[in-house]
Amino acid sequence: MFRWKATAAAVAVSALALTGCAGPGGGGTGGSGSTTLTLGAITSPTTFDPAGSEWGNRAPFYQAVFDTLLLATPEGTIEPFLATDWSYNDDNTVLTLTIRDDVTFSDDTELNADVVAQNLLRFKDGTSPDAGYFDGVQSVEAPDATTVVITLGAPDPAFLNYLTRDPGLVASPASFDSPDIATDPIGSGPYILDTAATVTGTSYSYTKNPDYWNPDVQHYDNLVINVLADATASLNAIKAGEANGVKLANNDNLGEVEGAGWTVNANELDFQGLLLLDRSGTVEPALADVRVRQALNYAFDREGLLQALQAGNGTVTTQVFPETSEAFDPELDDYYTYDPEKAKELLAEAGYADGLVLQQPSSALLGANTYTLIEQQLNDVGIQVEYTDPGNNFIADLLAPKFPTSFMALEQNPDWQLIQFMIAPGAVFNPYKAEDPVIDQLMTDIQFGDEATQAEKAKELNRYLVEQAWFAPFYRVQGSFATDANTTVEVLPTNAFPAIYDFQPKG
Amino acid sequence: MLSFIVRRLLSGAVLLFVITTVAYALLYVGGGDIARRILGQNATQEAVAAKAAELGLDRPLWEQYGGWLSQAVTGDLGRSWFSGQLVSVGVSSRLAVTLSIVIGAVLIAAVIAVVLGVLAAVRGGVVDRIVQFISVLGFAIPGFLIALGLVLVFAINLRLFKATGYVPITTDVGGWIASVTLPVIALAIGAIASVTQQVRGSVVDALSRDYVRTLRSRGLGSGRVVYKHVLRNAGGPALAILAVQFVGLLGGAVIVEQIFALPGLGQLAVQSTTNGDIPIVMGLVLATAFIVVIVNLLIDLAQAALNPKVRLS
Repeated sequence: MFRWKATAAAVAVSALALTGCAGPGGGGTGGSGSTTLTLGAITSPTTFDPAGSEWGNRAPFYQAVFDTLLLATPEGTIEPFLATDWSYNDDNTVLTLTIRDDVTFSDDTELNADVVAQNLLRFKDGTSPDAGYFDGVQSVEAPDATTVVITLGAPDPAFLNYLTRDPGLVASPASFDSPDIATDPIGSGPYILDTAATVTGTSYSYTKNPDYWNPDVQHYDNLVINVLADATASLNAIKAGEANGVKLANNDNLGEVEGAGWTVNANELDFQGLLLLDRSGTVEPALADVRVRQALNYAFDREGLLQALQAGNGTVTTQVFPETSEAFDPELDDYYTYDPEKAKELLAEAGYADGLVLQQPSSALLGANTYTLIEQQLNDVGIQVEYTDPGNNFIADLLAPKFPTSFMALEQNPDWQLIQFMIAPGAVFNPYKAEDPVIDQLMTDIQFGDEATQAEKAKELNRYLVEQAWFAPFYRVQGSFATDANTTVEVLPTNAFPAIYDFQPKG
Repeated sequence: MLSFIVRRLLSGAVLLFVITTVAYALLYVGGGDIARRILGQNATQEAVAAKAAELGLDRPLWEQYGGWLSQAVTGDLGRSWFSGQLVSVGVSSRLAVTLSIVIGAVLIAAVIAVVLGVLAAVRGGVVDRIVQFISVLGFAIPGFLIALGLVLVFAINLRLFKATGYVPITTDVGGWIASVTLPVIALAIGAIASVTQQVRGSVVDALSRDYVRTLRSRGLGSGRVVYKHVLRNAGGPALAILAVQFVGLLGGAVIVEQIFALPGLGQLAVQSTTNGDIPIVMGLVLATAFIVVIVNLLIDLAQAALNPKVRLS
């Protein structure tokens, strides 16, 4: 009996080896005349329900199956999409959208203004981490089949931009009450999710929507998005030619990626640096003194940090606004130079000649080197750092708030969105709710001003924030998206992952 | 034998209850702010509090566990808090991947280890020393290094197999083989090393027994003695170590799954435990505990079939 078992197993092994040798080696495009775009993403969507959706690195999963009301372009403009036209009333509190009348969802339900209104209200009441974008929405109405009227409590200069992202996603109303809405999306987008071929969390397969209203942006017959959370797996997929486009989690292997014949498409979306969260001195009184905050800014050798931590892939800066923003001022990229002596002087003037101790959280995810270098450079000016690793609760503890300062990478959004994210008293990344009358006034001017005023005041706000040292940014990090020799893409100035529509076969 | 199987299954059910209770308590203690992790850094504190209430995270442990258990006994394991996927679907789709590579690795390990172990024990001398050296080498080289080497040679340079991803066997048999071969080999090497040593030791031990001398004195050929008599006696310990390897590989496949970007149980277990996705982790605990119970039962039955001296009592 035993011999029989061993023989059977040996035959199975031989068959495995032989057939395996004849197996496919992988590859992105091709196969019986149809074209497939295979992408690598670094994270998967938490749910396909638009009311719980997110953007950033999760955008392509949603963009494939859903359309947004408006479209963000690689040129940085906002263009019509499901909404063909839009206008504000005189005080920018009522937004009127005109909706396309030739769109159907993949379940053959027709798109109309009422469906759009239902989607917008679902997002407002939903569990998306971005649901707060709609806090100012007072009502959404559909007076006729193609008109949606959104009433805001106060002007929101970022609102049109929101409609190019997760809050602007539109799903079929038939899916709202489906128990499978999280895994079986029904949208009007260029592709349809093939749930049978999809492994949630790992690999998502889509087929071309044959009835899509905008075939000009459908460049492929099939779309596969694989989640490559591990940097080694990403690099292996690139070298083995198993994808056409891969989002790189970091810039550690750019040489190898380019050596494999791939192109690195770069943009700058995040800044990394020290967040001086307790600028009002709630738990660390020293931080209420602007001289201490300025000293922290003078303490860092930004160029050295950029070289050591990002191999030079980025741009040193002392401002939190991105290059694409109206508030951006190139002079503010080097407002604070590396000057430890000046830092010590400022600390002495503020009454901290003997130094001070700062509590900071650390996270293995952000790299051990980072924390060592920060500690060394702060020690050089007499500031001691006590690190605590909150593990999985890093963000929760940061926002609780439990730490006066922290190293962090933060997304650089368009002006008003950025202000609402990290500067306004209610902003998520202003957890101590610090306020300043000058900042409050500038924010009011931006919110209620016309476009020219908004740009002017945003610049003023940016300079004031740098002078007041609300943050100690180090550099803007290069975001890298790799494409193979058969694929071209245009990166977006406002999102980590390029738009699905902007991938095209080369030639 | 039937009463033996029934008793083992009943004790397995008790084991499942104990394991899930302990697992739930551990997850509760180490949970942290799960709602914040679900919603991410952009979410407001109000949204986080609302999410926590929606998931019942504000209720006491016994109430949460009771809720989970009462649904689980009806077969409803709920949905992932992070992906919204049905736990039964999420776990079973990944089980196929992990079982593909673990069963493949154990089968290969069994065949090669028996051949090498018997060869080393029977031939002795140089052959024995070479086999022992190879075994030590298999132990010493970490699985992830072997995996990386295999990817470099067979996937990136020769393009014979896939470097990343998994193709279901139902979609494309060739693609499935191309996607599981390298992970199977990477996993099998460590298992071969340990099982070979076990087989070699057992065969050496059996060969020195009186009954072998008696069989030989009756004029039986060496091959017949080894394959018909010695292996039956030596097979028991080898099967036991194979079972241990199987269970170990179920959990140990995680690094190989990571390197090959395979959607397996290990990868899901790490992600879900880190996130605090309690429904998924509980589904995984149930599935793996169930597999362990079944594998142990099957090994006991195989031992009995192999060697009549083993009684199922």
